[in-house]
Amino acid sequence: MFNLVQLLIKLSGFFLFLVLEAICFSLVVRYNSNQEKVYTNTVNQFTGWLQKKSTSTSQYFQLYDENRRLAKENARLLDRLANAGINLQNPLDTMWADTLNPKYTFLEAQIIQNSINKNHNYITLNKGSDDGVTPHSGLVSDDGVVGIVRKVSKHYAVAMSILHRQAVVNARVRHKYYFGPLNWKSNDIHIFNLENIPKDALVTKGDTIETSGYSTMFPPGIPLGVVDKMWMEPGSNFFTIEVRSFAKLSNLQHAYIVRNIFKEEQEQLEEAVINEDE
Amino acid sequence: MNNVIVVNVLRFLGLLLLQGLVFKNIGVGWENFPYLHIIVFPLSIILLPLRTPRLLVIFLGFVIGLSVDFFYDTLGVHASAAVFTAFARSLILKMMEPRGAYNMSYSPTIARMGLGWFVQYASILMFAHIFFYYSVEAFTFVYIVDILIKTFVSFLASMVFIMIFQLLLNPLD
Repeated sequence: MFNLVQLLIKLSGFFLFLVLEAICFSLVVRYNSNQEKVYTNTVNQFTGWLQKKSTSTSQYFQLYDENRRLAKENARLLDRLANAGINLQNPLDTMWADTLNPKYTFLEAQIIQNSINKNHNYITLNKGSDDGVTPHSGLVSDDGVVGIVRKVSKHYAVAMSILHRQAVVNARVRHKYYFGPLNWKSNDIHIFNLENIPKDALVTKGDTIETSGYSTMFPPGIPLGVVDKMWMEPGSNFFTIEVRSFAKLSNLQHAYIVRNIFKEEQEQLEEAVINEDE
Repeated sequence: MNNVIVVNVLRFLGLLLLQGLVFKNIGVGWENFPYLHIIVFPLSIILLPLRTPRLLVIFLGFVIGLSVDFFYDTLGVHASAAVFTAFARSLILKMMEPRGAYNMSYSPTIARMGLGWFVQYASILMFAHIFFYYSVEAFTFVYIVDILIKTFVSFLASMVFIMIFQLLLNPLD
């Protein structure tokens, strides 16, 4: 203790020197314009450097999220490749006619009107018949199915959102292929109902629900959501399944309009068979 | 004792007026040659009696420098150099202590310590003071060559004046 006090006394001159110099420098910077310029410049340079470092560091920490986002994007694109093209194992002689054309094409569209708070929600898009949009085309976003185009004008198209009481999407359970219609019955914009899944189906909570491709509107394999809850109503032969959807309709900026090149052909053929039976 | 204080106060006031009213104008009026700047006021720090307490020396350095700053309108620039000089003074004195220690009733003047000792002692402190002064004036070491040239030229000019004063008046205290 005594030594410490002695040391402090010995250094007191130095401390006083430091204190007085600090006062002097603050006076210099405050009352001399040249020195003030040099000082603020240096401080700015230093803070700029610090900010750059911190930004690059935080960017480094965001790499994980960024990677996941890119991986998801990649997976989605791969899905699209596998599903959007027509089956390659056609007979050789039709190969030129059909296989080199994709079956589905995707048209990017901006969303210019949207709502999520009604029973019948609609989405307006900035692409119309001039761009080749036809009614009953599917509408998908990066996250999954968003809606179905209902009416088309020259430059605009109105789609009913999947948050529409009458919107039905043909869905299936990924890798298990049980299929049924998915529609919106709840009051929660994230919860949808999947119906017609028989009670012997091996569906469990957490299974992914995707488009079945049985309608002409969506290619197969577009993600819809995951099974959130499932139970059996007494006396029913079907599961009641609640699906938590992937679609982020509340901040949707743009979406892709799906065009099926063979849509008319397929619909005509199916109609012809139905008509024949009747 | 009182005599010593009076001498030092008078010296401080005389150097302050000389610096602020005469040498300041020489520096400013010489516009073709801005490198020269005659600085004599640190003499009032250099010549403080040897027995002055270290802390008091540093504090007096601050006061002296600040009063010069009021003449120059450069608040803090001369003061920081003067504080540095005052702080360095005790270190230099320790380094230059003659055999058999100082006579603590003396002041570090030519009459007491001899011409050679005084020239060495005053040169070191004046050089330190002027170098520090120009560093603070530029406030960056980017212009270190400029700072060094200014320091050398001003140091030589200032030392000439300081030696003239000392040899003419040759004070005991």
